[in-house]
Amino acid sequence: MTKIFALAWKDTLLRFASRSELLFFIILPLVFTFILGGGFNPGQADSRVRVLVVDEAGSALAREVLDALAASTAVRPDVQPRAAAEEQFTDRQAAALLIIPAGFAQGGELELRQQPNNLNAQVAERAVRAVIGRVGQALTVAASSTAEAESRQPFAAAADRQAYFDAALAQAETLFTEAPARVTVTRATTQDPVDYDPAANASAGQLITWVFIPLLGLSGLFAFERQQGTLRRLLVTPTQRGTLLAGTIAGQVTLALVQMTLLVVCGAVFMGLGWARAPLGLALLMVAFALAAAALGTALGTFVKSENQASGLSMMLGMAMALLGGCWYPIELFPEAVRTAAKLLPTTWAMQGLLDLVLRGQDVPGVLLEAGVLAGFAAVFFAVGVARFRYE
Amino acid sequence: MRKILLIGFKDVTLAFRDRAALILMLAAPFVLTLGLGMVTGRFSGNSTSGVSDIPVVVVNQDAGDLGQALVDVLNSADLADLLAPTAAGDSAAARQAVDADEAAIAVIIPAGFTDSIIPPQGAAAADAVQIELYVNPTRPTSAGVVQAVVDEYLSRVEVGRVAGTVAVTQLVASGRIAPQAAAAAGQELGQRQAAEAAAPIRLQASTAGQAAQRFDVLAYLAPGMALMFLMYTVANGGRSLLTERAQGTLPRLLVSPTATAQVLAGKVFGIFLTGVAQMTILIAGSTLLFNLQWGDPLAVAALVGAAVVGATGWGLLITAIAKSPSQVSSLGSAIMLTFGILGGSFISLSTLPAWVQAISKITPNAWGLEGFTALALGGGLPEVALPIAALLVMGAVLFGAAVLLFNRQGLVQR
Repeated sequence: MTKIFALAWKDTLLRFASRSELLFFIILPLVFTFILGGGFNPGQADSRVRVLVVDEAGSALAREVLDALAASTAVRPDVQPRAAAEEQFTDRQAAALLIIPAGFAQGGELELRQQPNNLNAQVAERAVRAVIGRVGQALTVAASSTAEAESRQPFAAAADRQAYFDAALAQAETLFTEAPARVTVTRATTQDPVDYDPAANASAGQLITWVFIPLLGLSGLFAFERQQGTLRRLLVTPTQRGTLLAGTIAGQVTLALVQMTLLVVCGAVFMGLGWARAPLGLALLMVAFALAAAALGTALGTFVKSENQASGLSMMLGMAMALLGGCWYPIELFPEAVRTAAKLLPTTWAMQGLLDLVLRGQDVPGVLLEAGVLAGFAAVFFAVGVARFRYE
Repeated sequence: MRKILLIGFKDVTLAFRDRAALILMLAAPFVLTLGLGMVTGRFSGNSTSGVSDIPVVVVNQDAGDLGQALVDVLNSADLADLLAPTAAGDSAAARQAVDADEAAIAVIIPAGFTDSIIPPQGAAAADAVQIELYVNPTRPTSAGVVQAVVDEYLSRVEVGRVAGTVAVTQLVASGRIAPQAAAAAGQELGQRQAAEAAAPIRLQASTAGQAAQRFDVLAYLAPGMALMFLMYTVANGGRSLLTERAQGTLPRLLVSPTATAQVLAGKVFGIFLTGVAQMTILIAGSTLLFNLQWGDPLAVAALVGAAVVGATGWGLLITAIAKSPSQVSSLGSAIMLTFGILGGSFISLSTLPAWVQAISKITPNAWGLEGFTALALGGGLPEVALPIAALLVMGAVLFGAAVLLFNRQGLVQR
């Protein structure tokens, strides 16, 4: 036991020999979480998608469209003169540009320009379509009602027709305003009400990424000691292979747990995330994930030749697995086939488990499956690592 | 001049012989571009990035036409790519599917929904019966799509109801039909008008860029990754300078009749050449493997050259600040990742506030990406003149700063 502790302590000292390690341990993960989680627009600020709007009509109907857009939960209209709006759009500073052309008073065509392959541009289109559907409703009804009347008995004068139209419009507007809500939206939760928060995705994803990469880098520790010949030196001491592996892995797993705890505390304190809701479930998942990642690192360590190779490989594999596991972008956006294939990665399960806890309000029973799968990964990769382990 | 070239070529050879360095120079950007292409659906034929096959659970307990009509809308051919609806027997089972993350949303149509909108003959108007949407909080985008579909359907139903009422009231008021005939006419008119009425406001939606040329999402992602790992290459190049100093080969070079400036120029040339070689291999590789069109070759070459100049400047500055080869490595990795996220390699810059977009201009990534995107959209040299100029100025300023620092410390002293 003393040996295991001594080995773990030695590795900790080695890792933090350079103070720049702190950058990767805590500083960069926090910066990335902050940027990706929309930390620049906290709470009071507007997180809706900005849509540039050029209003060349200035009509009552145009104002109605603008008011409806301003009331939207998805987009935020930003009215600009045409030249300024077009310049900003060309510079890709906004996802979409809506143009209300001159003469838009009784209906007509609006123009919406969207950035290519941009999710926010899709959101903007959906929101604009919803708004013009609503704004146009009363007009649609008034026009069709007038046409219906005309088909039965023509109007004597244009003024009569207009009066009929106005009366129908007024009644339609009243009816639409008084229409009851016919849909209710509830968020799925088990015990507590949990608000969706994009910062939760970022916090969980960055936590996994920045813990996963150094744990894969465990492979480098073995390569480093093999290169230096210190592994061979350990061999002549009465230290068993199991003790050596256990000490090295215990040290890194402990560090990973410390790192995760720091990140979770920062997420809870600075971003108000519900990490503290289910501490037991969180602890279970963190231990299972750290073991799975360390096991993968151990297995990888038996394949690499040098420390540099190990650090490059762990960065590349770590980033790729984090990406495919949904740690950077929500996995719901991925194609079906990729979502299924990603089930082979430990990062996917860790992410799923963390979101179960922080967004779906679950506790230990809800993450047992994820923790179990991660433990399975750990067992398989440890077996590979131990079987292939060499001192030189 | 020959000496400068010799030192430069030697460093390029060394860089490409270092298998560990090749992982991050070439393999990592390829693997991550591949991964990004997969998650954005670039390789599955579904090139409009976004959601598809959204799992929806539908429960219809309504006996009337309107509930069934909504079920038909969700199952319609128009939405077949977007939605993957399944029916559930009762609302508890539907909620269970959402709780288990098997569905993005449950649409629950309660009994009496139709009757609450169109009261049966002789009955008084009932209170509104609401459709319930039970939303999975971890899939907000998918759920939002379904919500929009239901909203649109309900707004059509509402139009039908109001149109019927308005038409009949106004017809009766103007004496065109008798009050006794109102109820019968109302329903028929409402249904007909909801189906026929042309929307008074239409939307002409278009995507930026040349219409004929669809924007390839990889044309943004691949340069983003290449530029990010270019920062690794330049830092690694700078590291070799400090390694040579530590191993004593640098002082040896300097006692030979070779001026300090020549050695430094050779080293810089080596970093530049390695960077250009890396970018060229990545561009050629993605053109062949992913069939990616980078745009006007001449402009691409000019932009690559300028981007590498800007990045080399950063590599030298890192080297001048750091004290040991391992410090260059960790500082280099930190800057590589920070520039990656600030420069738009991970998320679109348009989502960040103006001041962050302003800061991003110090990164070669932001300027390079701006240029590569313009070229992929069909632009030429005039469109990338500004990014190229900015990158060259960046390189020159940073090079000057690095030389000042080197002079103060002396190149060979520790």
